[in-house]
This record gives sequence, structure tokens and C-alpha cells, in this order.
Amino acid sequence: MRAWLPALLAGALTGILSGFGLGGGTLLLIYMTAFAALPQTLAQGINLLYFIPAAAAALPFHAKNRCLDKSVILPAAAAGLAAAGLAAWIATSLDVHLLRKLFGSFLLCIGLSELFRRPQPVSEERRRVR
Amino acid sequence: MEKGKTFKYALAGGAAGVANGLFGGGGGMILVPLLTRWCVVEQRTAFASSVAIILPMCVLSSSIYFFRGRLDFLAAMPYLFGGLLGGLVGGRVFQKLDVNRLRRWFALLILYGGVKSLFF
Repeated sequence: MRAWLPALLAGALTGILSGFGLGGGTLLLIYMTAFAALPQTLAQGINLLYFIPAAAAALPFHAKNRCLDKSVILPAAAAGLAAAGLAAWIATSLDVHLLRKLFGSFLLCIGLSELFRRPQPVSEERRRVR
Repeated sequence: MEKGKTFKYALAGGAAGVANGLFGGGGGMILVPLLTRWCVVEQRTAFASSVAIILPMCVLSSSIYFFRGRLDFLAAMPYLFGGLLGGLVGGRVFQKLDVNRLRRWFALLILYGGVKSLFF
């Protein structure tokens, strides 16, 4: 396996963004499926595993900066867990080609909505930091 | 804490969960815009909290992938180490980032990935 170095680099770069909740996992998925040509479900499984250390490493900093809001996190995580469990079951039963097409459509939707949305105002706190 | 808000957070989390399980990622791309625009959560809080929301989903989804024989730990290793390093750096520089500019570049990359998955 010669591909470990680019894999490590791709993981590190997108990991910086994952730590922000900035879609690093999405970018890594794109790297794996569109550039490294990994099979869809293999890439998805790697991406899930990958987010765990990246998120765990970033969370203490977020807690220290008081950026975590429990009243948001608890209900969102509870509902998200139920949905994720069901969807993971479906994903591992679906035909891989169909899954890839669904993934492509999903990327087009979020890509377009990201591109055409108005930038959000920078919060007061961030402005001070800068 | 009003009930309506909690319900909205739960819906946003549920939508992210669907992406997380089905595509193995992309939950944050759904969750953060929903939290900031629809639920009017402060931007930095939304980004950071989304990480805490998605982490348990990844644990659950990856366990399901594992039990259904869709996980390859060896292939995942280099990505995992990279992710750990990146996560450490990311947590530190989080405050100094121009999020809006970054997201434009993301959008283009994401579109490229979408076209490639659909048509090639």
C-alpha cells in the first residue's frame, strides 16, 4: 500500500476543518471517492471512523472556549443518533451504484446551497479576536 | 428553554443523522446551516456544537458498518492519524479563521465531487 502518505496528508488537512465542524469529513469523502477512487462504502466507513479522533481531539478546545451549548447538543444528538442508526442500516443494504448516485446528488445540493448563500455576519466576539 | 427550539434542534440533528448514516459524512454540512440560519444559534457555537453532535453519530454508524462487514480498519489507519493531527491543530486555530471565504472554496470542491460521483 503506497497510498498511505497522501492518505495521511488528506486526513490531516481535512481534520483541521473537521475540528471546526466545517465539513472536513465531507471534503475527505470527496477526496476518497473522486480523487483516490476508493469504493463508495469503503470510503464512507473510513470517513466515519476518521471523524472520531478528529472530533475528540478538537472538542476539549471548544469546551475551553465555551463554544459548546448543551441545550442544542442534547436534543440534536438524540434525534441524530436515531436517524443515523436507521440510515446506516439502509446504506449497508443498498446497491453501491445507487448509493454513489445518491451521494453525488447530495453533494450537488449542498455544494449549490453553499455557493449561493449570503455570507453570515461575523459575530461580535470573533471580530474582537481579530 | 422553549419547547419549540428544542424541537428544531432535534429536527436539525435528525437531518444530519440521515446524511451521517447514509453517506458516512456530510452531517455538518447540513447541521451548521440549519443551526445558524433556521435555529439562529451563534455561528461559532453552532460550528463547535455540531462537532459534539456528530461525534456520537459517527460511533453508532461506524459500529453498524462494522457489524455489516463494511469497515476496513487497515485502510482507515493513515486517515485516522491524519485526522487526529488535524483535529489538534484545528481546535487551536479555530478562532482565527475567515469561515465565509473558506466555505466558497468548499462549495466548488463539493460540486466537483458531486458531478464526478454522478456522471463518471
